[in-house]
Amino acid sequence: MADSAGTAQLTAAAPATPTLRRSVTPWGSFSWGYSDVGADIFVGLGLVLGAAAGASNVAFLFAGVVYVCVGLAYTELAAAYPVAGGGQYFVMRGLGDIFGFIAGWAVLLDFTIDITLFAWSCIDYLSKLLPILAFTIHPWTHFWTVLLLIVGLATLNFIGVRESSAFNEVVSGLDIASETAILFFGFVFAFRPELLIHTMHTSWPTPFNLMNGVSLAIISFVGLESISQAAQETQRPASVIPRTSISLILTILIFALSYSNLALGMQPAHALPLDAHGHEQQLWAFLGNEDNNGASVQVLASLVPYYGALAALYVPVLGAILLLISSNSGVFGSSRIAYAMSQARLLPSLFRSVHPKFRTPAVSIAIFCGFAILELIFAALPSISPGSKDVYARLFRGEDGITFLGDLYAFGAAASYSFVFLALISLRLNDPAVPRKFKMPFNIPFTYRGARVEFPLVAVVGFLGIFSILFFVMLTHVIGRIAGPSWIVLGIFGYLAYRRYKGYPMFRSRPHDWRNQQTKILQEAGELELMDEYLSNLKAVDEQRAKAGSA
Amino acid sequence: MTPGDSQPHLIGLLLGLFVVVAIASTVYWMLHPPTTVAERAARETERDIEDIVGSIIVVFSSDIHSEHMMALAARLAQKERAQLLAAYIIEVPLTLPVGAEMEVERRAALGVLATAEAIARQRNVEIETEVIPARQVSQGVLDLAKKRDAHLIVVGAYREGKYSGAPLGRAIEQIAANAACDVIIGVQGHKGKILAQKSPSMPKVNVEEVTY
Repeated sequence: MADSAGTAQLTAAAPATPTLRRSVTPWGSFSWGYSDVGADIFVGLGLVLGAAAGASNVAFLFAGVVYVCVGLAYTELAAAYPVAGGGQYFVMRGLGDIFGFIAGWAVLLDFTIDITLFAWSCIDYLSKLLPILAFTIHPWTHFWTVLLLIVGLATLNFIGVRESSAFNEVVSGLDIASETAILFFGFVFAFRPELLIHTMHTSWPTPFNLMNGVSLAIISFVGLESISQAAQETQRPASVIPRTSISLILTILIFALSYSNLALGMQPAHALPLDAHGHEQQLWAFLGNEDNNGASVQVLASLVPYYGALAALYVPVLGAILLLISSNSGVFGSSRIAYAMSQARLLPSLFRSVHPKFRTPAVSIAIFCGFAILELIFAALPSISPGSKDVYARLFRGEDGITFLGDLYAFGAAASYSFVFLALISLRLNDPAVPRKFKMPFNIPFTYRGARVEFPLVAVVGFLGIFSILFFVMLTHVIGRIAGPSWIVLGIFGYLAYRRYKGYPMFRSRPHDWRNQQTKILQEAGELELMDEYLSNLKAVDEQRAKAGSA
Repeated sequence: MTPGDSQPHLIGLLLGLFVVVAIASTVYWMLHPPTTVAERAARETERDIEDIVGSIIVVFSSDIHSEHMMALAARLAQKERAQLLAAYIIEVPLTLPVGAEMEVERRAALGVLATAEAIARQRNVEIETEVIPARQVSQGVLDLAKKRDAHLIVVGAYREGKYSGAPLGRAIEQIAANAACDVIIGVQGHKGKILAQKSPSMPKVNVEEVTY
């Protein structure tokens, strides 16, 4: 129970200004994350099949294990610290301001890629109904359509129009039902275990291609942090977020592993077209080629017996809507993160300025959509300009546009997740008083600076996993090796210049009253029992440390 | 094996079923998070309220104006499917036998109960009405509640200007003190609107103008 000191903290933490209304329900929280992560498999499946061939399921399994660790880390942190900001906030709190900036800056890279990659893939899906939009046949039309889509989303967010959350929830529900149906019919009527074994045996990739596949597979699992970013608006976040996060982890994992195994072991309902050399091609190769890798789920669905005829009609539309929502989440996600980072004095105040008429973070939207358009131009250049194709072939091993976007997406995710694992370990050691309604399993208890703490083994496994994926990205993707670190280094220079200009510590952190802030967070979250537990834990930890100090 | 060969394979069938069951159970588990102390308390209170509102009596008399409380009771009855009874108690003076004809009071009672019926009709709630002569309003209400096995009595009350030992009026205080079931008393604040008499929108029957 709260003691007098705790009561004083509680009083000090009483909210003086109106705060975000907690209106996001469990399904709302889930669909918030699903509309971001759920769209990833629509993009990732084709890319991974193209790279990892007969070992695509293994690539997804490796990335999936890492993703489970990432998911568990986010679940623990978002339930313990239910604030807007997500990974950037956890890292700032666990490792300090500069690392918080790097993690947030990497997430911002992901969000700008998110805008372009999903707008690109959205048009790819629509092109299955409207062939005039096909990237390989009409690259200029494809480019202009994606560009217009990005500008349109930026404008809508600029004037303050957002898709209704109810619409988001309905689309997520429909998509889960649809994907479950595709997989069910696919497994029941077209899956052949012997074909799966045969494909894995005959089309096993080289180690380099397998690493390439693993590095691309991680993009099928990016976006879980959307749930933690919405934590501040979620009802009873400490109880609800662990459920929605774990459900999201399981749902996406089931889909990714099922799709990859189905793609390797499915007997298509119709004969596939011959490849460019006139040879028969296997399903995985067909899904992973440049014509289909942007819309592989739709192509696979259309080849499922019985259900495929129906799926061919609606999956392009449903996929396009989900991808559009995901692209839009990149627009408002980047401005939200930039706003939170600016509030924490990690970015200039420019990023939290609000348009006087529309009351939206117009500058952030313009800047990050501008970056997204630059990425689009860079990705589309080899297709729309034959001259640059040779340059790309020489410098970047001829990677296509969507693979370039996938590289950077994987880089940003792997970089920020690496820091999140380190932050989790640091917070376990340095902030043991915070009640953790959900904890990663497999912990080693010991005494650290006089207080009982638990060391998370899964965080170490997760860190090694995600760091290896970061290594794979750097090793296998020429553009990712150059563009990703360049983004981080330029960001750090900008951060140091801003902190110096403002007179803030450049490498150290500004003083933070984390205790009062945590009390306020739990109070505003409506987690009063956890708040009592926190205040009581604080007292106990202080006593333990005082006793250890005097001894 | 050729394209179009779509005979189900046992492993495929099992995998298909696994996907459906796993997704369905995951979503079900997610939508049922553990409850907090506050939510459990709220749920128990809701259950108690459901028991309370099985049968509701709304009380009227010449001194008790419960039209606004009637509207609240009708909403409650509509939501909880409770039985609703509007009762007008005519206080018969000791100088008259209990069965004496009191036409003026009876006409006023019918007018008030007609309003009560109209309020209930607006909510599509079935309502019974009854005019009950009694020596004392409080005794009439308590007897009726016992006879009908009521779960809730609803009355409207004015706050007395100064303390007189029974600031809500003796009849209401006696009902509250002696009722076996729960009692909701709508007490009008100084600027409140809970009683009909001061509300311009509520038609009133002027007993003096009633003609026979």
